[in-house]
Amino acid sequence: MKPAPFEYHAPDSAKEAVDLLAELGDGAKVIAGGQSLVPVLALRLAVFEHLIDIRRITALRGIEERGSSVWIGAGTTEAEIGHSDRVARHVPLLSRATPLIGHFQIRNRGTIGGSLAHADAAAEYPAVALALDATVEALSPRGQRTIPAAEFFTGIWATALAPDELLTGVSFPAAVNIPGGRQGFAIEEFARRPGDFAVAGAAVAAGLDPGGQVSASGIALFGLGPVALRAAAAEAGVLGRSVREIDPADVGRAAVADLDAVPSDLHGSAGYRKKLGAAMVARAWEKAVKEAASG
Amino acid sequence: MSAAPLPDTAAARYAGSRVRRVEDARLLTGAGTFVDDVTRPGMLHASFVRSPHPRARIARVDTAAALALPGVHAVFTADDLNGDVVEAWYTGTGSMVPDTPRPPLAAGEARFAGDIVALVVAGSRYLAEDAAELVDVGYEPLPAVADYAAARTAEALVHEGYAANLAGELAGAPAETIADAYTSAAHVVSETIWEQAQGAVPLETRGLVAEWSRGSRELTVWAGTQAPHEVRMFAARLLGIPEHSVRVITRDVGGGFGQKVVPMREDICVLLAARKLPAAVKWIEDRRENLMAAGTARHEHGTARLAFGADGTLRAASLDHVQDVGAYPTPWPVGTGAATPMIFPGPYRVSAGTFTHASVFSNTPGRVAYRGPWAFETLAREVTLDIAARRMGIDPAELRRRNLLRRDEMPYSSPTGMPYDHMDPLETLEQALAVLDYDAFRAEQAAARSRGRYLGVGISCYAEPTTPAFGVYATEGATIRIEPSGKVNVYVAGGSTGNSLETTAVQLAADALGADIADVHTIQGDTAVTPFGAGTGGSRSGSMIAGAVGVTAAELRDKLTKLAAHKLEASEADIELARSRAAVKGDPEAGVSFAELADIAYFQPYALPPGMSPGLEASARYAATGMGLWACATHVCTCEVDSMTGKVTLLRYVVGEDCGHMINPAVVEGQIAGGVVQGIGGALLEELAYDADGNPVATTFMDYLLPTATEVPLIEYAHVETAPGPEPGGYKGVGEGGAIGAPPAVVNAVADALAPFGVTITRLPLSPAVVAGLIDEAGGSQ
Repeated sequence: MKPAPFEYHAPDSAKEAVDLLAELGDGAKVIAGGQSLVPVLALRLAVFEHLIDIRRITALRGIEERGSSVWIGAGTTEAEIGHSDRVARHVPLLSRATPLIGHFQIRNRGTIGGSLAHADAAAEYPAVALALDATVEALSPRGQRTIPAAEFFTGIWATALAPDELLTGVSFPAAVNIPGGRQGFAIEEFARRPGDFAVAGAAVAAGLDPGGQVSASGIALFGLGPVALRAAAAEAGVLGRSVREIDPADVGRAAVADLDAVPSDLHGSAGYRKKLGAAMVARAWEKAVKEAASG
Repeated sequence: MSAAPLPDTAAARYAGSRVRRVEDARLLTGAGTFVDDVTRPGMLHASFVRSPHPRARIARVDTAAALALPGVHAVFTADDLNGDVVEAWYTGTGSMVPDTPRPPLAAGEARFAGDIVALVVAGSRYLAEDAAELVDVGYEPLPAVADYAAARTAEALVHEGYAANLAGELAGAPAETIADAYTSAAHVVSETIWEQAQGAVPLETRGLVAEWSRGSRELTVWAGTQAPHEVRMFAARLLGIPEHSVRVITRDVGGGFGQKVVPMREDICVLLAARKLPAAVKWIEDRRENLMAAGTARHEHGTARLAFGADGTLRAASLDHVQDVGAYPTPWPVGTGAATPMIFPGPYRVSAGTFTHASVFSNTPGRVAYRGPWAFETLAREVTLDIAARRMGIDPAELRRRNLLRRDEMPYSSPTGMPYDHMDPLETLEQALAVLDYDAFRAEQAAARSRGRYLGVGISCYAEPTTPAFGVYATEGATIRIEPSGKVNVYVAGGSTGNSLETTAVQLAADALGADIADVHTIQGDTAVTPFGAGTGGSRSGSMIAGAVGVTAAELRDKLTKLAAHKLEASEADIELARSRAAVKGDPEAGVSFAELADIAYFQPYALPPGMSPGLEASARYAATGMGLWACATHVCTCEVDSMTGKVTLLRYVVGEDCGHMINPAVVEGQIAGGVVQGIGGALLEELAYDADGNPVATTFMDYLLPTATEVPLIEYAHVETAPGPEPGGYKGVGEGGAIGAPPAVVNAVADALAPFGVTITRLPLSPAVVAGLIDEAGGSQ
């Protein structure tokens, strides 16, 4: 369990990092906290000739309010996000998701950019980004662009990032700006032990109008497909309806009804995962609308 | 738990009290010395090339590219090493049994995914792994025997010469001879119970450093082992060199649990290679290797047949047992395998019973010892007992109460010939139930069920053979030396893998000599200076060290007493040894310190009593008596099951343990707790799973799930000391029991929680998916 030889680069700026990526091509990989990449290298499941460590790039760290959004630098650690009052106030779903990520030692090193770019199907942050309609920022030699979360996760450990693009930050709409006035957020997951990857999980952002009608709904699933997924049919099924008429169990069933690539492994069959997923959606929905109704 | 202060009296005894561990200062500050902490001048590093195929013909091994990598010293194949083996039998097994094949490197055929095909030695572990990737092995995949349960009818053979993939079979009296007990019974309950493969998974993986001295033709081995002297004897035989040319040094070992009880194939390769290398060579197993190749345990099934009278009286208990021994079981698996069904009747009053046993090869790593290697008997019996209790409509606690043996029935011979003595099984049940408050739990359970919550309680009882008194385990030696300073040094073989053997030796020697514990030190784990001992295994270390220290200290005590009497001009009968002093009874001012006595013994031979030899040193051996020491226990566990997710949450865990008198209750509780946690892992989480082709599925801790602090409730203890062992000190073994009792206690608790669904549990592990599936199969509702 020792990695194959690689050359180590530690640029001081995002531009330098992107130039290195462009110059070194496919043999190069960006490393931040290394919580997923280092085991992959140690087990020699992947070999890269160059590692570009972005931890020295201070511009990639930080949590800032930018207009109606909260911007979080890609190199910001999960621990920093978990401890941030600003995140707790404006992006509560992200705050609530953070303690579910691994163990504190992992969160001390793991970064939000790493979590999104690694795009593990069972990870929490990709699902939060989907449920909240976050926007991912990427830098390449061609300049900066933004990618909506809904278009970012493309397949198993695959994203819309080009090989020479560096994920530099992510913007979450601040809670107060979700239409409808009253919002609620919840994340529920089932893991074999605390800290394990979720067997199935759901992140829910719900908005209610003053009359108790559902005015916004973001329902994202994790552990239930090749990537984190939006449960579009379930979302559509609740929009415009009175929250009192909605049975959370129905929302759960609708969220998993059309899933066709649910993983099956030692920890559970696809059928078991779907059942769990429906339950996690139902529990998260119930909590989210309860919060919205009391907000 | 903090150590209780000792009463400050002359007669204070350390044994029986929670003396703080002498090992902890270095271990808890990260300053222990494990194998990987050993560095030698010019040391080289080893890495193995392992087969990716469960079974494949090895057509060729081309080492040229690996050898060409700068920094690579050697690449060994089977052709280079296997012919060097002189003898390769384990002392505990002996050279006469029909041992199963165990080639150092795979020759001609790879027999499991992870089988070792070549050994690379380089200047660093990184380089060794780079080079291992460059070894070009021509594999021709063959159909594998992936499932041991189908192996006896499989076309493929794991080893030529073993027809039907049978490593061996043993059986008791033919079933017909006890057929009456079944045909005349009011109830016969028969279930086939299946246990999944598990690994010992020590925190410290396997490893060794081996250094061959060309000039003196001596081998020094720093080993992570439970038995330094076994490594020494084995290495001497393996290389065909005298035993005095081998020195094995072991300081700290991070867990063994049976996996480190004898050298395995990787160790053998490194020992053979060391003689061909110019410097010491280190091999440290990585976690992936440990999960893929350090051996499997517990993979077995058995059909339990219990017969009862109308009132639930147990009339017969038989087990037909089949175990997976993988490709390269280590050591010979058949003898210990047959012990499983022989111990099956357990701590119960039952007059009829018999057994069959089969050890079956498969293309998986190989069976190794794991804490209570026969533990399946308790799982099969206790789970079937609960199934029987439900069918007969008798409460499972009451069913056991009616059938458990009592202290006053000892000695008692089980129907399979187990000679029980000095144990009190019924008392362990009563005390464990009292600590739990069983009736209160039943009321709580009923109330919870009425609210749609599923709580359960599970009980498991066992009788455990400890401190085996035969063969390599029959004796244990100690040397005790009171140095010229008056300080005491205790030399015993050791083999501590975290099980407090240093504290144990110090505590017992301080009592036996009347020394202050702060004046007593112990040296263990170095074969150059310690007497022979078989190490940690068979729950023997505590009681055998007690015996060895006892007989040796008695000689020194006698000498100290005579010397003090002479010096103080008092009668020997009036001399009292306490707190590192010899004093005259009733006149504590008239005394002499051990330091003063040592000064006489070493430096003033003219002042010794006539005829007394100088020095203060003794060596003696203790011989275990009888067949061994029987410990027993009852485990009681409560749980809640989430009927939707299938998740099991353990609520309380109580152990009523009869291990005789306790040398150190904190150490006893540590041993029980560690075993219980491993048993909980086996019941709920751990599975060394293989796919249908024989490929390992759980090769990292993402898939091999160990219990952590969040899965384990506080463990509560009821110590039963009503049936102490015959000697020494009334101590009995306690190392393995926790792991034996826990799986069925957990399974029974889950089954009890799910009783409203009509679920019967016969397979482990009870992962949430499995539990949810059982509920679904049962119709999903009450």
